[in-house]
Amino acid sequence: MHNFCSVGKRVPKIDAVEKATGRAQYIQDLKLPGMLYGKILYSKFPHARIVSIDTSKAKQLPGVRCVLTAEDIPDIKMGVYKDNRPLKKGKVCSYRDEVAAVAAVDPETADEALNGVEVIYEPLPAIFDPEQAMKEGATLIHEEHKTNVLRMPWKLHYGDVDAAKKEAAHIVEDRFTTTWVTHCCMGASGSIAEFDPANNLKIYSNTQIPSLAQKDFLDALTAMGLKGNRVRVIKPVIGGGFGSKLDTYAYEYIAILLAYHTRRPVKVEFDRTEEFIATSTRQPTITYISQGCDQNGKLLFRDINMILDNGAYTSWGATTPSVMMMPITSLYRVPNVRYEAKCVYTNNTYAQAMRGYGNPQATFAIESTMDMLAEKAGIDPIEFRRINANKPGDVSTQGLRITTCGLEECMDAVKEKLEWEKPKGESEGVGLASLIHVGGGARVYKSDGCGTIIKMNDFGKIDLFTGATDMGQGSDTVIAQIVAEELGLQIEDIHVIHTDTDICPWDVGSHASRTTFVAGNAALGAAKKIKARLLELGAKQLEAPLEKIALRDRHIQHQDDSEKRIEIGKLLRKAHFSHGGQMLMAEYFYDPANENMGKDFRGNMSMTYTFGTHGVKVKVDEETGKVKILNYVAAHDVGKAINPMLLEGQVYGGVMMGLGYALTEQVILEKGENMNPNFRDYKILTAKDVVPIEAPVLETYDKDGPFGAKGIGEPGCVPTAPAIANAIYDAVGVRIKDLPITPERVLAAIREKKGLDLCGQELGRDDVDECIIEE
Amino acid sequence: MRKFTYLVPKTLDEAISLYQSYGERAKYIAGGTDVLVKIKEGKLAPDYLISLKHIISQDRPFLNHETGELYVGAFVTHRMIETSPLVQAHYPILYDAVKNIGSVQIRNVATIGGNLVNAVPSADGAIPLITLDGKANIYGAKGQRSVDLLRFFLGPGQCDLERGEILTEVVVPRLLPRTGSAYIKHGRREAMELPMLGVGVLLSLEADMETCAKAGISLGVAAPTPIRALQAEKHLVGKTINEETLAEAGKIAGEESKVRDSIRGVAWYRREMVAVLVTRMGMKALERASRNAEVGMGNK
Amino acid sequence: MSREIAFVFNGNKMNMAIEDHWTLLHLIREELGYTGTKEGCGSGECGACTVIVDGNAVNSCLYLAAEIDGKELMTIEGLASPDGTLHPIQKAFVENGGIQCGFCSPGMIISAKALLDENPNANEEEIKEAIAGNLCRCTGYVQIVDSIKSVSGHEAQEPHVVAFRSEEGDRGD
Repeated sequence: MHNFCSVGKRVPKIDAVEKATGRAQYIQDLKLPGMLYGKILYSKFPHARIVSIDTSKAKQLPGVRCVLTAEDIPDIKMGVYKDNRPLKKGKVCSYRDEVAAVAAVDPETADEALNGVEVIYEPLPAIFDPEQAMKEGATLIHEEHKTNVLRMPWKLHYGDVDAAKKEAAHIVEDRFTTTWVTHCCMGASGSIAEFDPANNLKIYSNTQIPSLAQKDFLDALTAMGLKGNRVRVIKPVIGGGFGSKLDTYAYEYIAILLAYHTRRPVKVEFDRTEEFIATSTRQPTITYISQGCDQNGKLLFRDINMILDNGAYTSWGATTPSVMMMPITSLYRVPNVRYEAKCVYTNNTYAQAMRGYGNPQATFAIESTMDMLAEKAGIDPIEFRRINANKPGDVSTQGLRITTCGLEECMDAVKEKLEWEKPKGESEGVGLASLIHVGGGARVYKSDGCGTIIKMNDFGKIDLFTGATDMGQGSDTVIAQIVAEELGLQIEDIHVIHTDTDICPWDVGSHASRTTFVAGNAALGAAKKIKARLLELGAKQLEAPLEKIALRDRHIQHQDDSEKRIEIGKLLRKAHFSHGGQMLMAEYFYDPANENMGKDFRGNMSMTYTFGTHGVKVKVDEETGKVKILNYVAAHDVGKAINPMLLEGQVYGGVMMGLGYALTEQVILEKGENMNPNFRDYKILTAKDVVPIEAPVLETYDKDGPFGAKGIGEPGCVPTAPAIANAIYDAVGVRIKDLPITPERVLAAIREKKGLDLCGQELGRDDVDECIIEE
Repeated sequence: MRKFTYLVPKTLDEAISLYQSYGERAKYIAGGTDVLVKIKEGKLAPDYLISLKHIISQDRPFLNHETGELYVGAFVTHRMIETSPLVQAHYPILYDAVKNIGSVQIRNVATIGGNLVNAVPSADGAIPLITLDGKANIYGAKGQRSVDLLRFFLGPGQCDLERGEILTEVVVPRLLPRTGSAYIKHGRREAMELPMLGVGVLLSLEADMETCAKAGISLGVAAPTPIRALQAEKHLVGKTINEETLAEAGKIAGEESKVRDSIRGVAWYRREMVAVLVTRMGMKALERASRNAEVGMGNK
Repeated sequence: MSREIAFVFNGNKMNMAIEDHWTLLHLIREELGYTGTKEGCGSGECGACTVIVDGNAVNSCLYLAAEIDGKELMTIEGLASPDGTLHPIQKAFVENGGIQCGFCSPGMIISAKALLDENPNANEEEIKEAIAGNLCRCTGYVQIVDSIKSVSGHEAQEPHVVAFRSEEGDRGD
């Protein structure tokens, strides 16, 4: 094995000291001179006509600088479908709809001003159930759209599912549901907008997509009559992303509009309640699935029909079926696949991207039914999956080209570490579920690229400008490791700058677990260019042939003669300060050779795919329905772990988020209203909930990844829920098909299985009436 | 946060006279972890906050060795109760409850009195103290009075305090010999939970170490106020304590409860858990009573 | 109403005029300008604002500034030595992957500090108890607990990750 100096090492994050000392500056910590504070008034109804808005009282309040409603602003369109506006005109379609905004000298005055805005609503019939909303004659959320079903034809059929159904020896068919969960970034959303005298915009914002945000804001400037003006997006340190910052939001446009009207910097910063109510969720799904196999356990078909609650407006949530297609067509070898998904407008909160981008919802249904099918076929769940496992060189029906694939080895690791075959105690069980995820970019936009600029100074140090966004996952560090490795430098020689669209190149955004792969390759490409020139200079200096010199330990040296070496800094100074001097700079734009989906959704969306298997041992309390996780193993094929410590961090964090998704988390919406916008009742797990997790890593060295690496940001939370559901079934014989798997659901299922009602009485007994079920 | 004036009296009388001066515009505050949240949320809007934090009083629970009574000052923090060797050794039900309230940060500041006067059905601090037959000592302009803590709770957010009165301490009468007790907060997470249900059980045994001499069963979030399951208690007295009799008591307690649906839990499940958890806490109390008897730690 | 208070802030004596309705968090961030202490929820449910008052970890968002009078206050800025040397707990978080987005880190580290000051040999259970009120969405807490364990007198466990197969072996140039 190659002896790496930086790659593969447990290197601390390069920004960790700043963060450990409290010096890192988040949007919450930024203040500009003369800055005003913007606040937003939200709707009081899930669906209502806005009869009138009276802002006169608010405007008169001392300290208020600006009050805006839809009447005061140009038509700025937001959302994938351009169906949303920063401030709503005519009607509101959900509780989170922005109705008015104010800017004032301090947050308290701004709050007071909001109280002074009088809005008269005329409530309209509202609809919260997507299956109801799909029906003929249902109340329309957007009248001009004519139907509540989004006109996005997520529909594919490869092979012949109906024929396969006739052939199948075993078929399972069921319905699974998932609900709203949300990102819960510890650092809430916020931005500060400021215009210069020439009306160029500078906006500090929490975003995962600086380049796309810049484009969105340019469009907004055009709508404001400022076509051709500049937009500079500056990212402060980001307090977590997980997909929540993958779109531009009304609050950002509101900050821009308030800044434009007041000619002052304006900050809009969410408090925790707002963060829960006015940012987006993972989209809830209703999944009808059937899968079938032959006598020997070979999968013959997978047939899925899905309904997604899109909420009132479109964001990336509406496009998650595109990523769901990946596990649906290509998790295990499936010759015949049919999938149709309908995203439906309702008066609920609208959905966004969230870690996994649809994959967790799809995998919950797929991997739960895989176990059900294995049981029907009388095959051990692991063996059943092994029969159908993807292998290197496979091309799936959708056209996904599997290059490296360690799926079977991941299953082996789970089997071994979980002691799969060891007898279990009472009410204990084991379960597993696997995953496929994009690991080499994901072409969902016109470009899947990322740019990097490297400049070297006279001291052998590097300023590296990347389009990538580090929102905590550690991409800056990984990039620094890759560049240090390539150039024989130390990590601390690499200064990574990713914060400013004025100086950083384009990148499509930190999503799809693509940053290590795409930004890593971009950085590597630029480093290679630098390396070539360094070697050239070095060869001349050392009077040695090119192939005989190497970069190592901040030096250029002769491979056979360690005395013959020169410090890189010294070499650079010589080059700079000689006649016709030169300095080393390089740029590289890496756009992977992956494919946009074609008309029938075929296409190799990623250069490579990450595989993994999660296994879990649980103990179910049959009296309370509580599920205790005794042991958790999350094995992943990651290509190459550039930084094992950060990689583990992604897996642990993903698994804990997945456990929350499986067991405790739920945005409770009652008729569209968020009933638990706080950490008391929205239950992300605490340190005391940590379960024993092992994270074995399989390295398959993908030929396209930087030093062999594939992406690992999202997989940690993908198969968690089905692994647990499968383990619960193994433990107590009940199949939970709805998330979250609450003790109530488990207990109810246990009671049902025993032929008892919810109060533990035998069904059909006379005193059943006494059992009052209030829900 | 909304503006107010913060007043820091050193004695109860001073506090009460301040309250009398400002009346409805004033609000008492101790640890402040609930009051400040309510002010931030706009649910309270006092012009004056009268702090009870600086009133000279006991800062930890103590035992009156003559009467055998436990005194828990209202301004004692949860953390002080949690770390009290006295409470840990002899009042495990109280320890069980306070050690799981909020976080360490909250417990370092929040007081038991604050937890009680909030009078929420989920008050973790209330369940053990009513199980222990605690009495609330209340001080006001008219002087001191005492009320059974159980009767102190009148409804959600309502307690038996006249205007300006202050809850000063809870007194727990001498425990019978051969007593054990336990509390469980039932929730979804291991920490930072408000209970979906709180169940406390206290058992005092006869000298035979199996017959129930006295039982206390209390429930939180099972009714608009913390309650005692009196029928269930009655069912146990005189009977041999075992899983079976406890399960019967649990079932009765479930029937006594007035559970309802909320975002934190559904009624049928809560009622079922009353039965399950009364049994479990009963067994734990039994075990503790036996252990105490073995090591001679029965209360005097 | 305003009042004069005197307190010790990260080892330095301070006298200042404050408003009664200020929280300690407001005092620290807005008045003193120390932004290491974060507001994550404003209602005592996330621990991002944790500071140490007279040795005890408290949520500064629910603590009145007036109450700091006569007391000693430590924030994250008071941990490292003036020469920049990290406190061992900070160093442990840096080296063990205890930090991702970093928003919870100051509060988390302060909670660990309060714990280890009181109990230098805290075990895993005690560590988890001490930071249960500090929510983190990135790390899953595993490496945070490892970080604190590494300086608590109890050895941290071996790293869990072991590469168990390499297919092409030598790659990279």
